[in-house]
Amino acid sequence: MKSLVEKVFLIEILRGLALTLKKLLFEKPVTIECYDKVIPQSYPGFRGRHALVRSELTQGPICVACHRCERVCPSKCIYIKTVEIEEEGKRKRQLAQYAIDASRCVYCGYCVEVCPVNALVLTEFYQYVGENREDLYFDQERLLKNWDEFIAKAERPYFNPFWKPKGIPEELFSIVKRKAKGV
Amino acid sequence: MSLVLEVNKKQKGKDSWEEPFYLNMGPQHPSTHGVLRLFLELEGETIVNCDPIIGYLHRGIEKLAENLNYNQTIVLSDRLDYISSAANNVAFALAFEKLLRLEVPRRAKLIRTIVSEMARICSHLLWLATHALDIGAMTVFLYCFRDREWLLNIYERICGARLTHSYVRVGGVRRDFEPEVIEELYRFVEEFPKRITDYETLIDTNRIWLKRTKNIAVVSTEEAFNLGLTGPCLRGSGVSYDVRKFRPYDAYSEVEFEVPIGQNGDTYDRYRVRMIELRQSNWIIKQCLDRLSETEGEAVLAENSPDLLMPEKVREVSAQPHPKLGVMFKPKEKEIVPVGEAFASIESPKGELSVYVVSDGSSRPWRLRIRTPSFVHISAISHMTKGHMIADLVAIIGTLDIVLGDSDR
Repeated sequence: MKSLVEKVFLIEILRGLALTLKKLLFEKPVTIECYDKVIPQSYPGFRGRHALVRSELTQGPICVACHRCERVCPSKCIYIKTVEIEEEGKRKRQLAQYAIDASRCVYCGYCVEVCPVNALVLTEFYQYVGENREDLYFDQERLLKNWDEFIAKAERPYFNPFWKPKGIPEELFSIVKRKAKGV
Repeated sequence: MSLVLEVNKKQKGKDSWEEPFYLNMGPQHPSTHGVLRLFLELEGETIVNCDPIIGYLHRGIEKLAENLNYNQTIVLSDRLDYISSAANNVAFALAFEKLLRLEVPRRAKLIRTIVSEMARICSHLLWLATHALDIGAMTVFLYCFRDREWLLNIYERICGARLTHSYVRVGGVRRDFEPEVIEELYRFVEEFPKRITDYETLIDTNRIWLKRTKNIAVVSTEEAFNLGLTGPCLRGSGVSYDVRKFRPYDAYSEVEFEVPIGQNGDTYDRYRVRMIELRQSNWIIKQCLDRLSETEGEAVLAENSPDLLMPEKVREVSAQPHPKLGVMFKPKEKEIVPVGEAFASIESPKGELSVYVVSDGSSRPWRLRIRTPSFVHISAISHMTKGHMIADLVAIIGTLDIVLGDSDR
């Protein structure tokens, strides 16, 4: 008897319709109507556009050209060129050019984690496009510019969660990383 | 190409009214869930034969892994089954930890269990959404994506990425949970069972849903074994097999959960199994979160775990001087990881995912073999579709829950 009533009066379909009507009338919509006005913000630690941290002292990159990021990169998209200079009778290695091919990058963030001096960062900025390949090939100037654009909006001092991930034993980090308080 | 030639051969010299109709479904068809191509032999609208053709998303992950070190290989595992990256990461990490003989800290184990159950919920929600959309239920699709978005936001807070997490590391995880993440997860765990009830209200007893799923693609227990099905597809056929119960890994041995099984082995049973699994996953997350407070402040990475940047080759100089020639520099290659092989399998959302790794002592796997559930499940399509209508084919692809990135690797 009950099943016949359910069959004739479409009980289960009406129940479903009642649910959607309830959601339509009494619940807040989850969709964003105007994307231009409300831009969704990513959470801290989001692995977005690359940037090289600009040093306050030298106005250049902090990078010490140790090639660790270049070697850890799974997609081999970091290119570093170094020059050897003589300073006070000592031979020193210095960074000549630092470049990241963002179109090859897989955004794993390993490079940020292995950097001993916190010179590299995957910023929380994600809305970027390129019209050709050159637009997504970030050379040193471009990477420093990315940092300036990012830090102008971010809170100071900025500290990327992947510079010193929470819960990892302290002795695995370099001394610079252990003491780092943000830039 | 050979298939096309075969068709030409078959069609020659036959009356055009009697010949079967050959149809290519895919690789761009939206309901094949990726780039699966199905070569169909039809009689009217009934499927006589169905040949799945794969390989459109082949990237050579097994070969690529041979040129990357163990930690870098985990990045590749994200791209296998890209809906549940965290579960794949766990499978790879487990195999490598067996090889390196590492003991993972308890907190890391709990966190891994949480993220892999989140991956299960993510994957099942996407499955329910697309399966329902294929069959014709639009509202479920929207509701499921709304809830999946919530989980993806939590993932973003945990590891900084929404889809390709690379969160698990050999020897633990990359980052501990922030306190806000745990609060948000508690909120999710409280709210989610109500959402599952909503989906069930919409489709569980809906007559159209029942007609489209009951007695479609019935797989008996024996057939399921012969086809090599695993995961919810096997459990839908009435086999209580779950790697989480039989060979517990991570923290599954200390949590309680039930393994749901179906009775008839049809599409509806597989749907029910997955819906119950959603509730079970939710329960597992809740238990793990409760236990997480016990291990507050512990490290999430084993102390002797390898650096992200593993050395490529280590040469040792022999210390003993030669009696006549003095100090000899006989470079001896040091083993970075022990020589040998390791195997690990996990219950990924789609089925059983196994990783087999052979090491020659260097920091890179000498050979990596991945057994993915989707590849095996696709081979079952041919058997399951025989005698069904072409509209049911869409439901069958949906019920197998295949991801082509997983199958083609």
